Amino acid sequence: MTGVLLYCFNTEFYRYDKIAAKTIPLLKKNLKLPITLVTNMETFKCLPPLGHVNYKLIEHETGNQINNKPWHNLDRHRAYSLSPYDKTILLDIDYFCFSDHLLTLADTDQDFMVHEKVHDVTGNDSYRFSRSSMIPMVWATVIIFKKSKRAQAIFDMVKYIKERYSYFCDLYRIGFRNFRNDYAFAIALHQLGGFKGYETIPARLPTLPGSAIVKEITDTSITWTHEGRTVTISDNDLHVIDKGIQNV
Amino acid sequence: MDISKLKNISDRSFHIALAKKNALEKAESSMLLAYSGHLFKADAETINLVQTLKGRLQKFVILDSNNNPMMIEDADNFLDKLIAKQQEALNVYHQAYSDSIKKV
Repeated sequence: MTGVLLYCFNTEFYRYDKIAAKTIPLLKKNLKLPITLVTNMETFKCLPPLGHVNYKLIEHETGNQINNKPWHNLDRHRAYSLSPYDKTILLDIDYFCFSDHLLTLADTDQDFMVHEKVHDVTGNDSYRFSRSSMIPMVWATVIIFKKSKRAQAIFDMVKYIKERYSYFCDLYRIGFRNFRNDYAFAIALHQLGGFKGYETIPARLPTLPGSAIVKEITDTSITWTHEGRTVTISDNDLHVIDKGIQNV
Repeated sequence: MDISKLKNISDRSFHIALAKKNALEKAESSMLLAYSGHLFKADAETINLVQTLKGRLQKFVILDSNNNPMMIEDADNFLDKLIAKQQEALNVYHQAYSDSIKKV
């Protein structure tokens, strides 16, 4: 069985439950797959009724930060054991699913796939990380994996890297010193791939950078303003960085 | 022409260019075809390759989007799916392209 796995932990600054309340109905509508939400009791109590969703309450690890704010992203390596599915589409909670595109990606025999490339929908080509590390970063926003020895090894490797993250930052000269899953998975794939590359999702991840402010979300579209211009994108999956979407 | 009109032209051009870029990116993604456990891009190159090989061989090997080989046993079926996928993606792009120019 194929299903969707999401993580959702509120912080004192961001209400991820409000984002989940927007993204989960879109996933249900467009993918029609079972959904499991990994969360904690505090966040669970804030969530509105979302219909049939399988909840897994865990004690999440704390201690990481981004922009001097708490960042609860240290449990992603547990996705392999937390997922009840043979094949899992593991998504960031801020991934807005406006199409069935992910179903195509999941309909393969690959053990593990992530995006290596990103498409900035503002047209600014904001994401250039080639000088931020010695290895290419991957995007852990969308991870498609099936229960297999290789996928398990990758998640186990991410755990190993997480526990020694500063060492790996030095090794690969990663400028981003706080733990970031994108780099942890990139390192794991690099190492387990025998330093010779790995398979990726052969498409770019559509992303709206944090500098864009989301103004409206409908069942089929997102409207944002960026550098004084208002733009709408429809029927296209979108990873939204702007955490202000919790209030849209 | 005064500067406000020139600015409007510039803004309109920006919106058209961005809408086109995003619609094309979506079309490229939508051209991905899952076939027998592999992912293929249903673009002109793949379609032409399959059409060419089909004319000469009963079955043949091609590379998927991650350079994994796959034996194509039923070329007609595969080609039909590639063409359907490509045209589906391009029709959506065509519609978006027309709309973006009309609306902006």
